[in-house]
Amino acid sequence: MSSLSARLLVSVSVLLVLFFGTTIVVLDTAFRKAGEQAQDDILDGHLMAMLAAAEPTEAGVLGMPPDMPEPRFSNIGSGLYAEIRDDLDAVVWRSRSALGLEVPVGVVPDDGNHLFLDEALADGTPLRTLSLAVQWEFPDGELRPYIFKVAESLDSFNAQLSKFRRQLFGWFGLVALIMLLAISILMRRLLKPLRRMKREIGEIEEGKRASLSGQLPTELVGVARNMNLLIDSERARSDRYRFTLDNLAHSLKTPLAAMRALLNERDKSDFAGRYNEQIDRMDEIVRYQLRKPAASAAENLVLAPVQVGNEVKRLVDGLHKVYIDKNPAIDVHVDDDIRFRGDTGDFLELAGNLLDNACKWCDHEVRITIEAAVDHDAVASGMLLRVADDGPGIPADAADALLQRGTRLDESTPGHGIGLAIVKDIARSYGGVLTIGASDLGGAEITVTIPPISSQPRPDA
Amino acid sequence: MRLLVIEDDATLLQSLTTKLVESGFAVEQAADGKEGLYYALEYPIDLAIVDLGLPEMSGLDIIREVRKQGKSYPVLILTARDRWQDKVDGLEAGADDYVVKPFHFEEVSARVNALLRRSGGWASSVMTAGPVTLDMSRQELSVNDAQIELTSFEYKIIEYLMVRAGQVISKTELTERLYDQDFERDSNVIEVFIGRLRKKLDPDNSIKPIETLRGRGYRFALERDQSG
Repeated sequence: MSSLSARLLVSVSVLLVLFFGTTIVVLDTAFRKAGEQAQDDILDGHLMAMLAAAEPTEAGVLGMPPDMPEPRFSNIGSGLYAEIRDDLDAVVWRSRSALGLEVPVGVVPDDGNHLFLDEALADGTPLRTLSLAVQWEFPDGELRPYIFKVAESLDSFNAQLSKFRRQLFGWFGLVALIMLLAISILMRRLLKPLRRMKREIGEIEEGKRASLSGQLPTELVGVARNMNLLIDSERARSDRYRFTLDNLAHSLKTPLAAMRALLNERDKSDFAGRYNEQIDRMDEIVRYQLRKPAASAAENLVLAPVQVGNEVKRLVDGLHKVYIDKNPAIDVHVDDDIRFRGDTGDFLELAGNLLDNACKWCDHEVRITIEAAVDHDAVASGMLLRVADDGPGIPADAADALLQRGTRLDESTPGHGIGLAIVKDIARSYGGVLTIGASDLGGAEITVTIPPISSQPRPDA
Repeated sequence: MRLLVIEDDATLLQSLTTKLVESGFAVEQAADGKEGLYYALEYPIDLAIVDLGLPEMSGLDIIREVRKQGKSYPVLILTARDRWQDKVDGLEAGADDYVVKPFHFEEVSARVNALLRRSGGWASSVMTAGPVTLDMSRQELSVNDAQIELTSFEYKIIEYLMVRAGQVISKTELTERLYDQDFERDSNVIEVFIGRLRKKLDPDNSIKPIETLRGRGYRFALERDQSG
């Protein structure tokens, strides 16, 4: 489970179910017990009233007066029944309400004892019964055993109980629902700073923001500060690295240039030519190795995405100046919303080297196309860069050889192919590929595919 | 043509200057950015060669300032930084081309010539006007396809006039742009050389390539042949 809110919501739901479940069980039990107790008390009261009302009849058996104090005894099927049996289980008296019903005999208690029982009528109606065995002393002094039994149907009690349960579940369900709602609202409020942090990180990735804002709760201030420090130090490191390499390249190349100049001033022999070759090799090594390596995927996250359109325009303007005599027609097809997730310098190297080669080799037409590699989501789309010209083109077998350069630097000829080697190298560091093909303009078409940032190699991978 | 070279490496500066002078240019040298900017703004210059990594003031700032002051002569960047970022920055600042260190002198020379030719409005590398053809890269002049032998100073004058074909060039401008500083500046010498050029190019006085405008200067008078 990845979402904090979902986690919390599920945990809270489980807790609520446990808590309310237990409460429901406890309340239900208490209600039922209390109800049963009340029922038993009532039965007991009826039995006492029967005992008080019972008197021997002329027939010499125990009987009840015709008008019972409790009217329910007189209404047929009222749910309250009573009977008196003798010691042979023969019914001596039965209440009018039990007409046509057979109250079960059940277990007979010992003399002088009460006995509560849960029984049922023949049709399955549950009954609560109370039996009492007594020795009734007749006026003639004879003691005869009788069993008084009162029974009440549990139908109404059960109906009451289930109504109570329905209400209990209803109310608790409602309360649980309200609580869950309240908690999720609370969660949204609590997690708001986290969401803002997430949004701000997204904006940093898109280059709309330089660092996290400080408006965060105390618990997150430390995280935000460390994150800002990390971003700053990453940027500074990147700058410093580039600065160092630039300076190193610069300070190596000027002496190389001076060396060449000195050499050519005096010496026109073959000796000078051989030295010149070595200078060219050193120059190429410096160019290739001291180029700032492409930023890693992790660095790219903190770099502002490159507005590809602007950079291409700068390059094209520059190249128009440089190739003013040849004056190639450079056709630019760049999707407006395409952004390159990486270092501006890297993008300029990619497009600059390819365009420069195309201008060098073309007859008079060059075309650069940049589109999303996957879809048009500006952040995760990746980039497809194609540069075509109408020059002589590159034969397939030469293309392979050309791409080998750079990896075997010492065998490459100065001035040729190093640009392509650099492009290939940068493309690879972004997880991309370079392919050489033929263009519909008649010349070569170089394609560089840069995958979306999420699928670029991680430095720790 | 008078060039300005701003380069902080003494060996390179000296060597480049020597070569450029050998190629017939008058050269001003500056070894740091501030000095360079001073020359660039105050001296009569036809083209500046500017190193980007300079002490005191960066090459980019010099170029921006030069352009801001309305100077339109071509600027060639000399740079050890060969990243496209730097090239594009330089071109945007107002430079016209770049050469990456360590360069072959021939490359610098070719670009300088091309820039000078373009600054005069010539599109192709061989300038043709009527029967007169001038190839800057070879420093050759021919009339009706016959090559004319010229001294180095004669060549400098006709090159300067022809690059700016149609424009009136004063004697002072010619002296400033063509002599090295320590030469004696005598405008009479120019008259002498113009006379010699006329004899060499147009012995029978039929094509009249160089026109004299009294009190104002000279003008290369033949119509440019842009198709050539």
